Amino acid sequence: MSEESKKYVCPYCGEGFDTAEGLKEHVFKMHKGRGLPVPEGGIRLTINKSEYDLTVEPNWTLYYLIHDVLGMTGSKQFCDRGECGSCTMIVDGEPVLSCMMLAIECDGKTVETAEGIGAEGHPLIEAYAKHHAMQCGYCTPGFVATSKALLDRNPDPTEEEIVEALAGNICRCGTYPQHVIAVKEAAAKLQVEKAAGRGQK
Amino acid sequence: MSKQSEIETERMVEMFDNLRADKYPPKEFKYIGQKGPRRVDGLAKASGQADYTMDVQLPGMLHMRFLDSPYPHAKILKMDTSKAEKLPGVRYILRYDDPQLPESENLGHVPTFENDKPLDGVAHFEGQPMGAAVAADTEAIAEEALSLIEIEWEERPFNLDPVVASDPNVPLSFPERYADGNYWNRGVLNEEIHGDVKKGFAEADQVIEFKITRTGHTWVGPERPCGVWRWNGDCPEVWLKHQRPYVGKARISSWFGGVPMDKIELHMLYQGASFGGWTHVDWNLGPLYCAAVVSRRTKRPVKYVFNRREDFFGGSLDEGVYFVKVGFKSDGTITAVDATAYNANCTSPIFNTVLHLHENTRIPHLRGTIKSIWVNKGPMVALRCEQLVPVLAQTMTMDRVAAELGMDPIEVALKNDGGEGHDIDWLNEQKKERGFEVHDSLKECIEKGKAGFKWDESWHEPGTRKLPNGRMHGVGFTWTHEWSDSAGTGEIAIRIERQDGTATLLGIRCDNGVDAENSYCQIVADELGMRLEDVHYNPHFDPGFHTNSPDSASSMSINGWAVRHAARILKQKILESASSPTAPTQRGSYQPAFRNTKPEDLDIKDSVIFVKSDPSRQMSLADFVRRMGTQGPLANTEFQGVRGAWSEPLFAYGYHVQLGDYNPNDPRQKFCRQAHFMEVEVDTETGAIFITRVVNVNDVGKVINRMSCEGQQYGGSVMGMSRGKLEEVIHDPATGVMLNGNLIDYKVATIKDVCPIGTILVETGLGYGPYGLVGIGEDIATLVPALVAPAVYNAIGVWIDEFPITPDRVLKALGKI
Amino acid sequence: MKEFKHFNAYSIDEAVSLLGHYGDRAYIIAGGTDLLGKMKDAILPTYPEAVINIKTIPDLNYITQSDGILKIGALTTLAEIADSEAVRSRCLALAEAASRAASPQIRNMGTIAGNICQDIRCWYYRNQNNRFSCLRKGGGRCYAIKGDSRYHSIFGGSVSGGCMAVHPSDTAPALIALNAKIKTSSRIIDAESFFEVKPVKTTVLRTDEIVTEIQVPEPPTGTSSTFLKFALRQSIDFPIVNCAAMITVKDDKVAGARICLNAVHVVPYRAVQAEKVITGKSLNEAVAEEAGQAAVAEAKPLEHNRYMVAVARTLVKRAILACAG
Repeated sequence: MSEESKKYVCPYCGEGFDTAEGLKEHVFKMHKGRGLPVPEGGIRLTINKSEYDLTVEPNWTLYYLIHDVLGMTGSKQFCDRGECGSCTMIVDGEPVLSCMMLAIECDGKTVETAEGIGAEGHPLIEAYAKHHAMQCGYCTPGFVATSKALLDRNPDPTEEEIVEALAGNICRCGTYPQHVIAVKEAAAKLQVEKAAGRGQK
Repeated sequence: MSKQSEIETERMVEMFDNLRADKYPPKEFKYIGQKGPRRVDGLAKASGQADYTMDVQLPGMLHMRFLDSPYPHAKILKMDTSKAEKLPGVRYILRYDDPQLPESENLGHVPTFENDKPLDGVAHFEGQPMGAAVAADTEAIAEEALSLIEIEWEERPFNLDPVVASDPNVPLSFPERYADGNYWNRGVLNEEIHGDVKKGFAEADQVIEFKITRTGHTWVGPERPCGVWRWNGDCPEVWLKHQRPYVGKARISSWFGGVPMDKIELHMLYQGASFGGWTHVDWNLGPLYCAAVVSRRTKRPVKYVFNRREDFFGGSLDEGVYFVKVGFKSDGTITAVDATAYNANCTSPIFNTVLHLHENTRIPHLRGTIKSIWVNKGPMVALRCEQLVPVLAQTMTMDRVAAELGMDPIEVALKNDGGEGHDIDWLNEQKKERGFEVHDSLKECIEKGKAGFKWDESWHEPGTRKLPNGRMHGVGFTWTHEWSDSAGTGEIAIRIERQDGTATLLGIRCDNGVDAENSYCQIVADELGMRLEDVHYNPHFDPGFHTNSPDSASSMSINGWAVRHAARILKQKILESASSPTAPTQRGSYQPAFRNTKPEDLDIKDSVIFVKSDPSRQMSLADFVRRMGTQGPLANTEFQGVRGAWSEPLFAYGYHVQLGDYNPNDPRQKFCRQAHFMEVEVDTETGAIFITRVVNVNDVGKVINRMSCEGQQYGGSVMGMSRGKLEEVIHDPATGVMLNGNLIDYKVATIKDVCPIGTILVETGLGYGPYGLVGIGEDIATLVPALVAPAVYNAIGVWIDEFPITPDRVLKALGKI
Repeated sequence: MKEFKHFNAYSIDEAVSLLGHYGDRAYIIAGGTDLLGKMKDAILPTYPEAVINIKTIPDLNYITQSDGILKIGALTTLAEIADSEAVRSRCLALAEAASRAASPQIRNMGTIAGNICQDIRCWYYRNQNNRFSCLRKGGGRCYAIKGDSRYHSIFGGSVSGGCMAVHPSDTAPALIALNAKIKTSSRIIDAESFFEVKPVKTTVLRTDEIVTEIQVPEPPTGTSSTFLKFALRQSIDFPIVNCAAMITVKDDKVAGARICLNAVHVVPYRAVQAEKVITGKSLNEAVAEEAGQAAVAEAKPLEHNRYMVAVARTLVKRAILACAG
């Protein structure tokens, strides 16, 4: 018997019951401790320091939500299969592949994209431009997000650590050597800013 | 036009198809050659502010996806779209048999070889977008609709291997177009004969023959093929992902019975690379044509996007098998080369196998043949670059001769350097005749490269140096000329802006990231005498001037000339205007900004016009053009003691025509050389190759934008290493289905796969471009793949004749499997 | 992707209940880096009706020690395992395997349970729109046998019918070498017995069963472990061959050895012959070499994957030597 034909449907998991009692028992057993059921697809996100209250479809990836629905087109889609790193965003402090995350599972998360990193004047942006750590530029926002996440957790990385951190980002134009130089310079700049009491955080 | 401008215009015409060194170089450079001028696009790209065609969203826009053929060779017999049409959100399904779709249309390829159907009913490679195009509210809905289309297919036999398919007895791969057989040559250089190879082999002390296989590789453009079309009344507004905006616009204007060029609004946003590739495919504007049709019928803008797998639409024209025979003397001089290539689907077999040997060497007898064979794979086109074929042949020839004789390959190179069958002395004579300073480019490149790479300590007998880590060490060397690739035309204009006297370059082009915009600004700044920060170039909109495009190697020469001409003509105009009465009307005119001067008394430096003999007499360009005043009724009168004034609009255009030929009859010998060095370590137990060092030496004639040149060396080396040992497109032999149309199984090098890359730029001034320059963007990615083979040979003493050189091929060559 | 229903499970019971309810029509999602690829490419004959998120189940992400057992929660990420001092010091092979899997971003997202439960990567299986409805999807045959088999099994196919697709996990062989156990919502299974070849599945898990914890026992003194991976690229790639080894040495002789290869067979391949060769012996190049040969003695390579035999042999040898110090 399909769920639709059952009169009482659990708002948390969709399982159907013939009686209200049955549903109540189920809810207490299975979903005890949960808050009131939220509207389907409702999530809250903080993106580049702004708060968003959104309703999303289950089949939206985080990339699709941010790039297509919200129109923040900074992050790019090179492969859409988690194989290239171009869609990298910083979520709760970690660089992740937004094309392989479901938006509906991101409730309460904090997201940073290259636009936000640019807006806060992070030295990476200037360093990337100065050292030509881009050509066509399509993979660059992903690299910037990954690099920024690196510098957040490791403010003075060695060359090897930079290479390890960027190992999941593909650049077809082959600008890899310049990224190491740019990240090192940004790191140095951050150290100076920190010493002077200025800059990030 | 005054005398000054006339002189410059005459010079411009004189330098069309320049067969000589730059006759009018400037005396000094300020920005040209500098390391440091900022990228125009750097901040935007790093901070996610750069928009690409993939990012475009318009109100009411529909998303279009194509049906992809599941078979390598098949015809649609019946197609039922009724279920798909009923899916909520589907707005239109365009069918291959739509009566309004033309049988044949020019869909964007250059030069015109074949016309194509905008939407075909026959597929000739697996994955080919054809049959149906679905437009829906979202991409996901369009995708789902595709899966609901029911098709009755007629499957046909297919071919995957060009040598096999060249047999006249095998089935046809593409009967609708090539009914006479799979051997299909439409190129310019299918056979080249220079001297008499029979004689050459007879004269040789030794003759060797070998066979090389190169499996297919492809562009993997980060931004996949996509485009947006919107009708504004009967005016198309188009966002193109394309390397040739002029071609795009011209083709669009030939559709639908003719669309006037002045009604087409073209947007060329930032472009996520294509390396040639897709832009050269015959059907590259086909999806856009379909989008245009659907847009008209639905009255909504339409965007099409290929998914990652669809971007594997064909590949590089060097896929295939090469049969090479070389005759040589025991001192390393080569007497004859006969090289035949069977290339799959090679749509532009215009770069003959022995072309570089002809252009670069004194080898007296050469024959090269390219057989272009149609198989059931996508079209194979120029892909950074089309000279992969002659470069492979040259590298293998030179390095195998060296190997046979136990000679240093550098020695063999120097022994054979020359041109058109003549030695280096003859080549030097040509340089003199054309007004160049005589440099031996190859020698200089080699000297610098050897030093930078430490070649003498590194090179050794093959298979003799085992490292402490157990791997075998090897080094390799290759060389060829810098192909200026500067055939074509380009136009560009410069306008001095009112109010602040800044200079705007006007010309639409594909900005795929090589930072050529900056190079042109550097040229303008130096030629006009302006500060670089006062010169700006936004190439994304269409002012009606079409620069030569793409801009990785082919265009620096042409656009460089065009922008220099424009700048010099404009400078003359400025100086004439500054020394002439202005705003002549029936009631008189104003005094010149610089009274009692002639144009030749003036100059411009740091954006300031000044009198040469008395620099204290000066006026900034900004002040000079601000003399337009308020534009209102009081502009031309004296009001409260302030004198109105006027100066004419300051604008000039330049253009350049380059009649370069990609064949041995090109009258411009290529004097610039390049040399590349690679060090590898081979793990002989697993077959793994580790590239540990690369040094690129490129004689670019004259460096304009140093970091841009280095970027091409880094980028080309990375792509080259990737192509040489990692990249291959793999098809299932039984079904013809592509097995690795994704970025996990088609392997593009990551940052951990690449080694330190040394970049050396040599400047001999031996290029035909302005200031003696020659382009660089296409070279390194073309040479480095082949270089892996001699480096590996030096490591293990065995030649591996299959590219990419993967571990299984190494182990096989070592006899271990 | 096509539409589907999405549920957040807030307890193991809830997840199990949902799975019981939906059966084959639902998938659980943890990191999502495997599942979403399958869904985007629509590789399976039936698209999932529902996706059940288990990241919302609390207390499944931890690395703790109790009673000598290192316990790792199912949702612990590969990055956390790679960086964990506790894991590195006790079972280096697992930390190294986790650190070599995929890419940094995926290691931030992918979980240990997801890594061992992941589906096969065979390019026939994974071709989009279910282009090849092969044995592993309930279809008729294995397309690799007459196709391009360069990444497929060198030890023959699965028992029932000959699927040649290899198991792609990096952490699985490490867990087997480390003699780990897999705790699920209903039982505890030896890692070695956890893997099975079924349509659309690579484990013995029942439809309504999920992994909750990995348990790694304390190794005896004198034990070291290592992990080696062979792939064409130094990052992102799945293994072509990998090898984990845990070797205990007493009085200069091997007292115990567990050596496990993966990506060479339909399930992780315990190289028992290699273990036999080195047990009781002092480790040196010759012994390691012999063990390597023994490890591949029963290899039955396909047309295109003979090189994998050489690689497997080499990795076993090198893993042994690495443990020897």
